[in-house]
Amino acid sequence: MIKQAVQPPDYMASVYGNTPVMRAANLPGMAAVGVRDLFPDIKPEIYLHGGDLSAIVKATEEALAGVDMSMIKPGDRVNLLCSEHGFSVMEGEPYVEMLKTIWRVVKERSGNDNLRLRVATYRGFREAEEVIEHYKLKEHFDGKVSGLDCWDEGVPIETEIGTLYGIAKVYDCDWFIHAYYDDPREMYFHRMLHRALKAFVMNYARYETRSVFHMNFGNRSCAFIPKVIFDSPFVQERFAFACFLRFSPSGIIAVDADNDLYAIDRRVTVNHLKDYGKVRELMASIDKCIAVWDGGRWGYYIHAGGVCFGVFINAALDPFDLENPGALSVFNAVNEYQGGPMLTVMQINPAIKAVVINQSWPGIVIQDVPMLTPTILVGREQAEMYEKDSANPFFMNFAVTAETLDGAMGFAQRIAGTDKVIIFDGSFGNINCSPSLAQHLIDAAPEAGRRVDEELLPMWLKQRGIDPAQV
Amino acid sequence: MKMVKFVSKVDTGKCSGDKRCEKACPSGAIRVVDKLAVVDEGKCVACGKCEDVCREGAASLVGRPMPLFIMCDTSDVDEERIMQLCRKAHLYPEQFVCACTGTLAREAAAAILKGAQDPEELAAMTAVRSGCGIYCTGAIMRLFAAAGIDIGTAEDLKWYNLPLSVFDVPTETAEKYPMYHIEQDKRVMFKEEVFDEL
Repeated sequence: MIKQAVQPPDYMASVYGNTPVMRAANLPGMAAVGVRDLFPDIKPEIYLHGGDLSAIVKATEEALAGVDMSMIKPGDRVNLLCSEHGFSVMEGEPYVEMLKTIWRVVKERSGNDNLRLRVATYRGFREAEEVIEHYKLKEHFDGKVSGLDCWDEGVPIETEIGTLYGIAKVYDCDWFIHAYYDDPREMYFHRMLHRALKAFVMNYARYETRSVFHMNFGNRSCAFIPKVIFDSPFVQERFAFACFLRFSPSGIIAVDADNDLYAIDRRVTVNHLKDYGKVRELMASIDKCIAVWDGGRWGYYIHAGGVCFGVFINAALDPFDLENPGALSVFNAVNEYQGGPMLTVMQINPAIKAVVINQSWPGIVIQDVPMLTPTILVGREQAEMYEKDSANPFFMNFAVTAETLDGAMGFAQRIAGTDKVIIFDGSFGNINCSPSLAQHLIDAAPEAGRRVDEELLPMWLKQRGIDPAQV
Repeated sequence: MKMVKFVSKVDTGKCSGDKRCEKACPSGAIRVVDKLAVVDEGKCVACGKCEDVCREGAASLVGRPMPLFIMCDTSDVDEERIMQLCRKAHLYPEQFVCACTGTLAREAAAAILKGAQDPEELAAMTAVRSGCGIYCTGAIMRLFAAAGIDIGTAEDLKWYNLPLSVFDVPTETAEKYPMYHIEQDKRVMFKEEVFDEL
């Protein structure tokens, strides 16, 4: 089951990230283990990076065949909404193919020629421009492409709990199509509550609304906010349908489209609890390792075996168990606070003995990482980026810099006292890692799978009002 | 608080005066005067948004010869008033309101008690909003609301006043949706008895 390291997906060059000299998977001696070798019952992929994109086109056409588009009339303004993370997964090409297919099918079936592609991003003012240029979106979408970000003009949305603010350019239409993905990413934040609706409180929302979600509600109650936004009359009278690129740790497994977003959400929830629950549980069994960030965007969102680093660093608590008040350390810190400096209550997965950062984007606060575990940056280019990073002004007080990846890894191994390495390089389907870690994963997988199937999954499903017997 | 090591510099030969930097600046450090961006270095919190948003490459962050330490001193503010404001906003005084800068609720509260009337003034006094500029907003707006300050909608739409929090969700609404643990999360986020012990 242990094989040679698998070449990870490539990533888009960006002003926001460095260009490494080599990928960690190419380090001598690196290996890989297949996710479906570890858990044969995880849903198989229809696409993995480097594969045949026609599978995505076909899956999208088949999914859209069951969707009612009769509400879209020839003269209507229709926004096809897409989001940045879709472009960062598996080189972005499958997401582009899905979007192109939606565009074509909607035009064919509705006779509408007034579609506009809207590219939602995180916070950088150049993010959308880079994506639009790199993927030639203006060519593919008749030039009717524009980016939007959380600083753009807002629009008030009256919800069951009061006014929240969306981005006006998302909703300046008669209809919108929610073209998204169900890659679970930060499971420790959304807790697999309404993953399919999250864009309404993030990608499609003003920054103030995003902050309400992250800061002003708890780690479970925050999922209520995308629900009230989506359920609002303002959004409902514009929502046409949703089309999702569906993932499991093995890769892209399907395209799912529906006029009922909650139906998609339920399917996503059941599948993710089963498939991602196992890989997460397995990662939580790792007793010590060096974690490497190598490719993608912000470090917490780079995948190994389809699971992102943020999940691994928060592995101490089960994010799917809704009886846990917080699966993210900051919520636990607030919950357990008794006075004194709150930083002393922050925790990360103690199994992470060192972090080597070969490639990533600064810009999201992660400076608790070098405060809590040895962190080695590779290359002066990265060091200068983090030195200037306004989201992490303390980062370089605690992190060190190595000139080369080899040097960083050697240093990390001496400090960490282990040769177990796990590489977060954007991979789905496989986990690139050291042979020693691969063997641990193989040995621990049966128990992780059993625990999920027999103990955890029934509990998780019941907590979400889903009868395990129906699954 | 923040040790600000960089400052925004404007290449006047490239500046078009389009005001994108002025709109993006969280602390009001950049103003466009006679179609040229001018930086108040004493207010610049080195967030980098001017550099990011400028299409002409006119704005960039350069190293300061001497770092600027931005912090609102809390020692000359009545501690009881700080505590009252934090309690009303459902924030512990030692809780981060800005994870990027490590600014605590007590410092932000003190700045408001010292006269900060909006997020821009608060940013200049404490350097909050100088990092991602996003996630601190919720707690900041709760503090302003708790202080009875209506920050309204900013000129150029720099902000919309949104202090909504879990504490604003009525119990009867929370009881309709038990899956979201709303009432339980109110207790997770803030406990009166912990505050009483501080």
